Amino acid sequence: MFREVIKMNETFSTLVKDLQAIVGEENATGDRAICTSYSRDQHWHFVPAKNPACIVRPGNKEEVRTVLMLANTHKIPVIPYSAGINVRGLTIPVHDGSILLDLSRMNRILEINPDMKTATVEPGVTFGMLLEQTRKYKLRPAFPDAPLTVSVLANYYLRGIYQTAAADGHDHTISYEMILPNGETLKTGSRALSEMPYFRYGVGPDFAGMFCAHPGTCGVVTELTAKLYRLYDNRKEYFIGFDDVDTPTKFIYNLMNDELAASIRLVDNQSWLKGIFGTFDYPYESLPKFVLCVLVEGVDGVFEAKDKLVRAYMEECGGQVLDLPAEFASTFEHESLGGAEKSCMVFGIKGRGNYHCIGLYGPLTLAAKYYAVHERTALEVGIPQDHVHFYIDPIYSFHGQLCYFELDVFYDGSDEEFGDKLRNYNEKQFHRLLELGIYGWFRPYAGIIEPTAERIGYLAEVWKKFLHVLDPNEIMNRGKLF
Amino acid sequence: MEREEEVLSAIHHCVKCKLCSIASFHPNEEWLPLCPSGEYYGYQAFYAPGKMEIFRAILEGEITEPSEGLLNSVYACTVCGACYEKCKQITSVELGAPDLFEAMRRELAGKGWILDEHKAIADKIEETKNAYGEKYEYKVKEGATDENADVLYYIGCTARYRVPEIADSMLRIFDKLGVKYQVMGEEWCCGSVLFRTGQVEAAKELVAHNVEEIKKSGAKTVVFTCPGCLKTFEKNYPDMGVELLHATQFLTRLGNMNLKKEDLKAAYHDPCHLGRDLGIYDEPRAVLSKVADIKPMKREREQAWCCGSGGGVKSAFDDFALWSAAERLKEAKEAGAEALVSACPFCKRNLKEAAEKEELEVYDVVELVNRCLER
Ligand SMILES: Cc1cc2nc3c(=O)[nH]c(=O)nc-3n(C[C@H](O)[C@H](O)[C@H](O)COP(=O)(O)OP(=O)(O)OC[C@H]3O[C@@H](n4cnc5c(N)ncnc54)[C@H](O)[C@@H]3O)c2cc1C
Ligand code: SF4
Ligand code: SF4
Repeated sequence: MFREVIKMNETFSTLVKDLQAIVGEENATGDRAICTSYSRDQHWHFVPAKNPACIVRPGNKEEVRTVLMLANTHKIPVIPYSAGINVRGLTIPVHDGSILLDLSRMNRILEINPDMKTATVEPGVTFGMLLEQTRKYKLRPAFPDAPLTVSVLANYYLRGIYQTAAADGHDHTISYEMILPNGETLKTGSRALSEMPYFRYGVGPDFAGMFCAHPGTCGVVTELTAKLYRLYDNRKEYFIGFDDVDTPTKFIYNLMNDELAASIRLVDNQSWLKGIFGTFDYPYESLPKFVLCVLVEGVDGVFEAKDKLVRAYMEECGGQVLDLPAEFASTFEHESLGGAEKSCMVFGIKGRGNYHCIGLYGPLTLAAKYYAVHERTALEVGIPQDHVHFYIDPIYSFHGQLCYFELDVFYDGSDEEFGDKLRNYNEKQFHRLLELGIYGWFRPYAGIIEPTAERIGYLAEVWKKFLHVLDPNEIMNRGKLF
Repeated sequence: MEREEEVLSAIHHCVKCKLCSIASFHPNEEWLPLCPSGEYYGYQAFYAPGKMEIFRAILEGEITEPSEGLLNSVYACTVCGACYEKCKQITSVELGAPDLFEAMRRELAGKGWILDEHKAIADKIEETKNAYGEKYEYKVKEGATDENADVLYYIGCTARYRVPEIADSMLRIFDKLGVKYQVMGEEWCCGSVLFRTGQVEAAKELVAHNVEEIKKSGAKTVVFTCPGCLKTFEKNYPDMGVELLHATQFLTRLGNMNLKKEDLKAAYHDPCHLGRDLGIYDEPRAVLSKVADIKPMKREREQAWCCGSGGGVKSAFDDFALWSAAERLKEAKEAGAEALVSACPFCKRNLKEAAEKEELEVYDVVELVNRCLER
């Protein structure tokens, strides 16, 4: 195994030299301090710091290929890293002697095709970079609620299927190109067949789907073609307050069923709302406990019709329509359709914050139950009520009443004891949620995936074998699974 | 080290979102990098979150050797504070990144992990009391000063020895406006470069000397053309009971100076020490607007792109400093400016050097004021 193979420092300095020969001297280093800067993310209470052995910053896919083949020959673990902002410790090494493959230099937008409504990007392209270009065509990518400094490619490949605009649905990836540890290039969908990478289900099985959404990866995606969505000039925002989680679900159902709103987000009044409104400085406690934020958009005619129907549903929704400062509506608009920047304010919620969440997919019908179990478990492990937060994002086209739920706890990131409480919380909560019934986890990261894999029967075996075929030497970042 | 717990706690609060690497995206939806060191070197170690992680590892005893990468990532940062300004909009940080990075440098200096270039500056200062090791004195015209004047002009090493046109202009402005002023009989370096590079001990003698001289002078107001000196006096010197003003504050206060506006399109470059460190954004603009038409650049005020020379970068990483300056020049040209005007000798020097082959003039605002001031 690689752990024995790469034991000695001299071997490593040879390796770094070999890597430098591939990517250029300034783009590969084994310097301890530089490696340390990649050793930890905000999930450090759960995934402790660990240094990669070296950092490599390839500039193109041929360099990626050569690095992977070298690593494969020597059985050295490789961790692809696009922006490193995954909030789940996904780029923190598991094994000693890992190569961290920092792909941020590969930041070209290869194509924006307004006719096809697609963009093809390299891993280093962030949501901000992409929107800056697509908006010229009145198009935008589907945004996660993640900072717009994250990689579009990594987000879609990780299955960032919930997003700030419910209307975008849940599949933004069309096709991609991936380099495997043996140096082979794999192209998915119509990309495999022609120069037209615009159709997901080109040939045979849906390989794009099979490769993505692992806790880690089985290769390095070097370019990806994604869907773009229209930007409309007509927009209107509504904010409706509710005292519980259950009451708004009927309203959400109506909006989703009639496909009326672009963005629909139910948040509590103390957490994400601050980001959605872009300020800490407002008496949020004076608002009802939950606020439903609704954004309607569309072309002339359709927009007015939708807006009328939304208002009609709003009248009978049992909530209180809130009259808020005009700039809140405009921040909500920017954050929903222009890339999330202020959402990171959740980190400032508890003074100096950190953010722990269990993200999951499930039906709207279970919303109140998810919230109740969140509250119960938090209180049991000593997490105070005022640290317990909740978030629902329904997703079009709403088959299975598909929603993204987030069970959040915002806390002081430097508080070790609070970290212990959260570990206890996770221990109980993962099981409870699995018992209650979920469609799946937002992301199958370390800690959450183990109790889940136990329940999926033969699928886990097949999954393992699948990874083995693609990556027999187990060099790719497995995301701490298998 | 001092306040270790506080420092570690601040580091733990960095959530690695990297939003500090770009200027506010909304509402203009433009991707505008903000961190010169990260943009130039690329590795995470050169962005604020990576640097903080390195500092944690030093404090927790994981890093025990001064590797090349360590020294580069720590010292090839202009300590411009742009990351902090962005971070505080979105999180509730308690310790600003510049404070953290200066504490980091003190920690390194305490271990003797210091760059030769920075050590050489300390040696020069020890020998000559100025940061450039110059042995001659900057001469003020005889008879121009008044040792009883309420106003004392603290010239600073850079204006005395590298961009004397700034000192000359300021002195001419005093003359033209009939302001009585004095300069220090023996002006020593303010110590800024030593504080910024972690060599705090070496600065103590300078502080003591300058404080003594200023007290002796009887001046009530000390005027600076160098924001680095002003910041050092504000933040690292004891209270001397005198008013400390940047030249642009002093000039704004004078009100109508009978300036003849030039037909010049000028972009104003906010010096980091003047803007982000001292919050002085409006006065330089007010003064500049009287002598030129201001063309706004995309990154301004709290989110200004650093010229690249601060924090000891110019002396140790000149290529990086010049690259950063060139980025700023590009931005000024894009704004339609014919001149890039700053209010700091250090900025002027670096920007001017980078502009050598450019069709863009680089000035300090006091030079333009002097030019436009009618007697
Ligand atoms: C405040 C906040 C809110 C967030 N909200 C959301 C949200 O609403 N939706 C959402 O989806 N996420 C959210 N996130 C999580 C996270 O930021 C994103 O999922 C992000 O897309 C991760 O992208 P990255 O570029 O940082 O990936 P990285 O951290 O670089 O990589 C993540 C994983 O992908 C692998 N990987 C990276 N690049 C490649 C590649 N080229 N080929 C193969 N594998 C690769 C890595 O090895 C790692 O396993 C949020 C984060 C924050 C801080
Ligand atoms: S310093 Fe602030 S803005 Fe930068 S990565 Fe850390 S938390 Fe985010
Ligand atoms: S102080 Fe300036 S150069 Fe240093 S990390 Fe912050 S933004 Fe970058």
